[in-house]
Amino acid sequence: MAVPIQQKSTGARALQAWFNPLKRSAGFLAFVLMRVTGIGLVIYLLLHMVVIGNLLRGPEGWDALVATMKSPAVLVLDVILIAGILIHMLNGIRVTIIGLGFGTSSHKGIFWTLMAVAALLLAYSGWLVFTK
Amino acid sequence: MRTTYHVVVIGGGSTGAALVHDLVLRGFKVTLVERGELTSGTAGRHHGLLHSGGRYAVNDQESAIECIEENIILRKIAPGSFEENDGLFVAITDEDVAYLDKFLAGCETCHIPTRVLTAAQVKRLEPHINPQVKLAVQVPDATMDCWRLPMRFFATAKHNGADIRPYNEVIGMLITAGTVTGVRVRSHVTGQEYDLKADIVVNATGAWAEKVSEMAHARVPVKPTPGVMVAVRGRWCNMVINRLNKPSDGDIIVPQRGLSVIGTTSWTVEDPDRLGLPEDHVRRMFEKGGELIPAVKHAPMRAAWAAARPLIAEGGAQEGRELPRTFKCFDHKVRDGIEGLVTISGGKGTTMRAMAEATANVVCDKLGLDIPCRTKEVVLLPYWAYYQ
Amino acid sequence: MNQHGRFGPTRPITLKILRYKPGFIDPPRYDTFQVQADPLMTVLDALEEIKATADSTLLYRHSCHHASCGTCGMKVNGREQLACVARLVDEGTDEVVVEPLGSAPLVADLVVDMTPFALHMAPSGMALVRDSEFMPEAERPAGVERYTRYEDCIECNICLSACPVANTNPGFIGPAGLAAAYRALVTGERPAAEVFAYVDHDDGVWRCHSAMECSAVCPSDVQPGHKIMALRRELVAYKVKRFFKRG
Ligand SMILES: Cc1cc2nc3c(=O)[nH]c(=O)nc-3n(C[C@H](O)[C@H](O)[C@H](O)COP(=O)(O)OP(=O)(O)OC[C@H]3O[C@@H](n4cnc5c(N)ncnc54)[C@H](O)[C@@H]3O)c2cc1C
Ligand code: HEM
Ligand code: SF4
Repeated sequence: MAVPIQQKSTGARALQAWFNPLKRSAGFLAFVLMRVTGIGLVIYLLLHMVVIGNLLRGPEGWDALVATMKSPAVLVLDVILIAGILIHMLNGIRVTIIGLGFGTSSHKGIFWTLMAVAALLLAYSGWLVFTK
Repeated sequence: MRTTYHVVVIGGGSTGAALVHDLVLRGFKVTLVERGELTSGTAGRHHGLLHSGGRYAVNDQESAIECIEENIILRKIAPGSFEENDGLFVAITDEDVAYLDKFLAGCETCHIPTRVLTAAQVKRLEPHINPQVKLAVQVPDATMDCWRLPMRFFATAKHNGADIRPYNEVIGMLITAGTVTGVRVRSHVTGQEYDLKADIVVNATGAWAEKVSEMAHARVPVKPTPGVMVAVRGRWCNMVINRLNKPSDGDIIVPQRGLSVIGTTSWTVEDPDRLGLPEDHVRRMFEKGGELIPAVKHAPMRAAWAAARPLIAEGGAQEGRELPRTFKCFDHKVRDGIEGLVTISGGKGTTMRAMAEATANVVCDKLGLDIPCRTKEVVLLPYWAYYQ
Repeated sequence: MNQHGRFGPTRPITLKILRYKPGFIDPPRYDTFQVQADPLMTVLDALEEIKATADSTLLYRHSCHHASCGTCGMKVNGREQLACVARLVDEGTDEVVVEPLGSAPLVADLVVDMTPFALHMAPSGMALVRDSEFMPEAERPAGVERYTRYEDCIECNICLSACPVANTNPGFIGPAGLAAAYRALVTGERPAAEVFAYVDHDDGVWRCHSAMECSAVCPSDVQPGHKIMALRRELVAYKVKRFFKRG
């Protein structure tokens, strides 16, 4: 016998957004990472152009900027940027290989391998950023 | 002749599907109401065997003849709808072998083509068969898709103008002076109720026929008689495997896609909406199925479920035309003095077209019309045409 | 003995079901019901019990009850499954959330409109019946020219619901349609040029971003994601060949 418990109103139809990799598998995670890093890189590119624009303000402005760029907070941002680039680039390799119909049956392995490579490269570049 | 008679069909199972198709072809205005999804009753979840009639060739020859005739017709009007690999009636024990002569004689009487195969031949056809197999008889069984076959009838009927309304439940009958003049319907989509007027209402609700006819104070003594089926992973045969013996529990394995479906059993319940699933019946499917193909005993179970046959407790009135006894068509005028209501119940998925033809004939008789049935010739649209 | 008379101890499980009836239960809400689940009880069994004993207006699609018709796809705890083979206790939660599929218009409660799906699927040209690859050593009986079997895809819309692209691009043919086109290509049911014309465009094979979630959720071993990639390979090879023939 099924028993009704309570009738709860939740407002709008709770459509699970596509952006919910929690219940999903590796490929879905790769897709979300690709999109997030891709958009992140575009935003970075725009910021970068604004920053480069400082060159127009002459050497003083530029030196001040370089100083801020060396602050630890910005260095952390640099590492995040590098992470984004690595993830996006290596994932791009996966998308290209898989997208042409090669290695589809081991797409999850390829993803995790490339992400492991990304993690290694990231560790190395993090070390470079903070020590050199 | 009035040509715009409106017939309301209650129940979107295989019978309802074939009936709306038949009625629109004969020029009726037809509305079908089904309380859930189409074929959400028994029709969608039966065993999926397009019967050759072999199963009934000894004990119920009328059914057997109907099956082989409809088997041939359905292949013609619904091409590309079946796994057409034939079937085997296999003898495992000496008792099975002793049944052979009766079986062959029955098939001959019913014009069911047969071919007797030796044990060695059977093993070459079906490598997983019980190695004890003594012999087998090949018959024109096939596998049907219990959802997509009725959907071809619905699709064709819809394109011919039938108004098909799933998710609409009949909750009462409109009765004026002893005549059923329509039905009261609740849409489960909008939550609203509405009336649907009709010249004739056909109750095609299978195991629910008693519940529905009671709404018109008419009596159809239907006992829901469910059977259990078990689908296991792996396709352990290409042909339909039947036991060469009297029909009994778990004596058919129907392969379908990558599954093998073992069935079935029989018991009675009070409420067709609450069948349950007895554990011992599920176990028996593995045991009995294992006698035919040992591998199914250990194959992983994909699903176990039950479907309800409508067992009709007493004979229906057979007026006008002689109706086959394998299913019952009640004209409630004759039976209960209620005009405007016809009930069709029983039969098989395989005989859906024949049941529809007989019922549409009764509808025509009641309205004093003589319009020939065309469903033996009209080739059905693909099932997905329902959505176009 | 429990209500099903079967299979060991039962455990109370709460189903939180999305309810929606345009103009009636609108905006949608969740209704909660409790059932006693034995180890074999499926989500569909539970829905049937709720409908029979607690709320006869509950709407969901179902037909074959053994993963062959493809009507009962829904989201169970956020992941697409066939209700007829999704066991409640396997979910491992005391509350199981049941919601309609995405990537299809919602009709009412758990029912979605399959029309867009069918319109993407039908032109693929895949036949329902194909050659049986099982037991290749099996001889055929007289009168049976080839052993056949139904295609794997049961047209359940589950892959589209799980596809991040189909959720935001209703025009996308989708995993099932593309996988079907690939089947039609390899079986030779349709000439290659026709199949490619169907898939070689923005909303076709190139729309896929290889999340491969379709392959992960498909209940019928179709591996549609893998087939999309294979279809791309065939298409690229076809184009390269055509390029050099012309040149
Ligand atoms: C276990 C088992 C195995 C079988 N195996 C085979 C087989 O292998 N081959 C074969 O050919 N046949 C087989 N059959 C027989 C076959 O399934 C039935 O003959 C056939 O499905 C009957 O279809 P129907 O349309 O008459 O009934 P149903 O399919 O039950 O249709 C009745 C419909 O009416 C609807 N309904 C009920 N009440 C209302 C209401 N108030 N308002 C609106 N709609 C309502 C129900 O929802 C249901 O969809 C089997 C039957 C059983 C039980
Ligand atoms: C470093 C080398 C790079 C490689 C190998 C690469 C590769 C790819 C590939 C293969 C895709 C397609 C993904 C898919 O089909 O799902 C893609 C998408 C994208 N890329 Fe890059 N990319 C690189 C650098 C960049 C840079 C520098 C930017 C930003 C300026 C960028 C922004 C994007 C964006 C916005 C998308 C769309 C993401 C989506 O649709 O989800 N990429 N990239
Ligand atoms: S490909 Fe799989 S998930 Fe997609 S519709 Fe077909 S069976 Fe369902």
